[in-house]
Parts: sequence; structure tokens; C-alpha cells
Amino acid sequence: MTSRLQTFLRSSIGKKLLMALTGLSLIGFLVVHLAGNLTLFVDSDGSAMAAYAQKLADLGPLLWIAEAGLLLLFVVHIGLGMRAAMENRDARPSRYKDAAPKGGRSAASVTMIATGVVIGIFVVIHVIDFRLMKGLLAHPDPATLAKVVVARLSTPLGASIYFIAMIALGVHLWHAFQSALQTLGLRHPAYDACIRKTGAGLAVVVAGLFAAFPVLCLIYKGNWPWS
Amino acid sequence: MSAGHDDHGTGGLDLTLHIWRQESSEAEGRFETYPLHGVSPDMSFLEMLDVLNEQLTLEGRDPVAFDHDCREGICGSCGMMINGQAHGPERETATCQLHMRRFKSGDTIFIEPFRARAFPLLKDLVVDRSAFDRIIAKGGFISVNTGSARDANSLPAAKQDADLSMDAAACIGCGACVAACPNAAAMLFVGAKVSHLGLLPQGKPERSRRVLAMVAQMDAEGFGNCGNIYECEAACPKAISVENIARLNRDYLLASATERPSSAQGEGA
Ligand code: SF4
Ligand code: FES
Repeated sequence: MTSRLQTFLRSSIGKKLLMALTGLSLIGFLVVHLAGNLTLFVDSDGSAMAAYAQKLADLGPLLWIAEAGLLLLFVVHIGLGMRAAMENRDARPSRYKDAAPKGGRSAASVTMIATGVVIGIFVVIHVIDFRLMKGLLAHPDPATLAKVVVARLSTPLGASIYFIAMIALGVHLWHAFQSALQTLGLRHPAYDACIRKTGAGLAVVVAGLFAAFPVLCLIYKGNWPWS
Repeated sequence: MSAGHDDHGTGGLDLTLHIWRQESSEAEGRFETYPLHGVSPDMSFLEMLDVLNEQLTLEGRDPVAFDHDCREGICGSCGMMINGQAHGPERETATCQLHMRRFKSGDTIFIEPFRARAFPLLKDLVVDRSAFDRIIAKGGFISVNTGSARDANSLPAAKQDADLSMDAAACIGCGACVAACPNAAAMLFVGAKVSHLGLLPQGKPERSRRVLAMVAQMDAEGFGNCGNIYECEAACPKAISVENIARLNRDYLLASATERPSSAQGEGA
């Protein structure tokens, strides 16, 4: 039984499948994360975000389990990506003088490694900054949580790092969703267009909303005109 | 008949060819430049190379080695990178079916071999694609008992499956998919072969065993990993669809989960 699974996971298609499943799970995480972030805009005194953070903190050990699972998803996804990149480099030892695409590739599909690296670096900075150093979730303090977030995102450096990473995320997602479904074998002419549009929509909405955070923070400094 | 007729009597095309020359797999390769004058726009790309080779031979130089056989787009022997594109600029066209009317007088053309670790270079533009043969040997066939032929139509096949199978069977094994893939992956070729046989009743009994064995061989040959970039489909002279890659992924997953070890096969049969 194990050897069957091992054979599968060692094959190029098995590794791709794991890549797709971890990627789709990470997309799910992103959507939840985004929903949590949006609490920032509910009010200007930060109580909505603090309430959300309190709910997370109340999960106790469950939160640790969830975070460990999340870490595992990232490690597997990134590890497989780097391994594939190295194998692919080996698979073509000599380059073409000028490879001219015939129309299959997109800017997103050929830059998956590059955008992935940008996102990976951002995630490390982001986790150290917000999760570890500030321990935001451990002590959700309504008075400071939203302020800390806004303060981080309204400095030009903080805002640019966040914004650039979110553009990279959008480009990555543009290819990711339909690629994952293709890897899972879920392809049929009847659903092709729908899958492509869903992937593109997902990329634009998720990355667009995330990217709006630093922009709004820079402009309004946490005093939202609508609340 | 063709736009190329306008060029008749004007002396044809004057081209500058930069061709990859390499004596052997171990030798150092380089581009060499050859001017070629008066090329008829009605010539195929390979005929243009024939003209060049005749010239080189008369000058006592070594002709450019390139693969070819049928010259009608069905054998899959020909294949080279023309200005960075597998089989050149025309879609759904093998190198032998590419015509010089696609080029203009004064054009510079870079000609390179297909490059992939799994396709070692033999000489100039000739690469060894026997990795494909070894993949086929692992399962690109059906096993039948010899004897008199079955009655026609005794094995009903759904029209839809027959059509999909025939589309996949159009693969000529040229290797352009590997050459054009930024990762040098062979998934379109293997997907085509697995689909071609697996969709028909004759190929169904060995469907699981076939996909497992062919993918294992594909991986062993050192092809790259598919990134769903789809450059293969765009470069394929037979327009093999990447839908076949999705079917390959599906079949492989299913077969990995359900195939019984070969010792258990045939028991009680
Ligand atoms: S799939 Fe297309 S490009 Fe690849 S070997 Fe077959 S015919 Fe050639
Ligand atoms: S020579 Fe046979 S396909 Fe081109």
C-alpha cells in the first residue's frame, strides 16, 4: 500500500497533483484570510478586527494545529516547486538562441517560479512581522491591533512591499487555478471557458482586494470615510 | 494557386541562414552562416536545405545533417527549431510542409536542433528521439491473439470516443511538443498515445497497465515536468489538444489507485 503511494508521489504526475492540491488549499486559506482582513474596514476604532482576532485566539490549540497544517501546505508546495524547477532546468541543458512562443504560454504561466519566490519571501516577512514579533493573535487588544496593522501598511516601505507581493500573487493565481484543475484531470471543452474565467476572476478579486489594503491605509490612515 | 507565384521570375528569395553545426554529441556546436540566393517560394523548407546541401557538397564542404523521410507531414522524422519555433512559424505544419513563401527575401533564419536532455544531439540538426520509442515499447500497443480478423463492427465504439481517439492518433511522434515546452516535458506525446489506445474498446483492457508503464518510462528518460504552459499544443503539427494531458493525469491517478500488482493479473482467467 505504501509503496503504491510512494511510486505515485515520486512520479512527475504525482508530484504535480500534490502541487495542485496544496495550491488549491492555499487558495482556500487566502480567501479566509481575506475575509478576516476585511474586518479592518468595518469601523475606524478597530473593534471589528479585534473581535475577529479574539475568535481566532479562542480556538486555542486548534489554532496551532491549523497553523501547523498551513505551514505544511507551504513547505510542500514550495518544496515541490523548487524541485520541479531544478529538474526542468536539467531537462534542457542547452538553451535556444531565441525561443519564440507560438501562443501557448502566458506571462503568468512562464513566471510561476519567479512570482512564487516573491510571494514566498513576502510570506516569511509577513509572518515574522505580524504573527511572531507582534504576537497579534496572542493578545488581541482592540485598542492597538488595527492601529498596528494600519501603521505598518501606511509607511511607504510597508505599503510597497505588500503591494508588490500582492501583484505577484495575482499573476501567480492567474495561471494557478486552471492549471491545478488541468493537473487533477478536470478538463472538458464544455467547462474550459468557465474554468478560465473563474481563475482569472479569482486572481483579480483576491489579489485586487489584498492590494487595496496598503493603498487605502496610505490614503486614509485608518479613518475610513464610510464608517 | 498560391501567393508565392508572384515571386516567379523575380529570381526568388535571398536568405541568410544561421545553422547550428555540431560534428557529434561530444563536439562543441556553433552557428554557421550561409547566404542562399534565388530560393523558390514554392520550395518546402527541407527542399531549401537540399539546395543548400547541394551547394555545400559542390564546394567540398560537409552538408548539413537533418532528419526527414516522408516529406508529407505523416512520419514525424523532420523537425527543427526555425527562428525559435518548433517546425517554424506556421501552425499545424511540420517542417517538411512549411513552404518558403512563408518567408520574405532578405530574411535571416536561425535553424537549431530540438533541444532536450532526453533528445541527445547526434549531428547538426539530428537528435536521437528513441526515448519516444522506449516509451511506446512500454505500452503504446494493444495485445491481441493472432488468427483471422474479427468481423467489422463487432466491437462497438461510441462515435464520440472514436473521434477523440482518432484525433489523438494523429500524433506523429515528432517531438515538437518537447522541443517547444519551456520545461522539455513529453506530456503531450504520452497523453496522445495513452488517449489514442485507451479510448477504444481494443485498448481498454490494458489501459491502467499502459499508463503506469508509459509514465514511468517517460520519467526515467529525463523529460521535464509539465507546467500546464500549453506551448506544446501551439507547436504541435497535428494540433493535439492538451485535453489529452488532462486525460493522462486522470488515467494515471486512477490507475495508480486501482491497478493490481502484475502477479495478481490473470488469476482465475
Ligand atoms: S503530440 Fe504533436 S508535437 Fe508532440 S510528438 Fe505528437 S505530433 Fe509531435
Ligand atoms: S518528413 Fe515526415 S513528417 Fe516531415
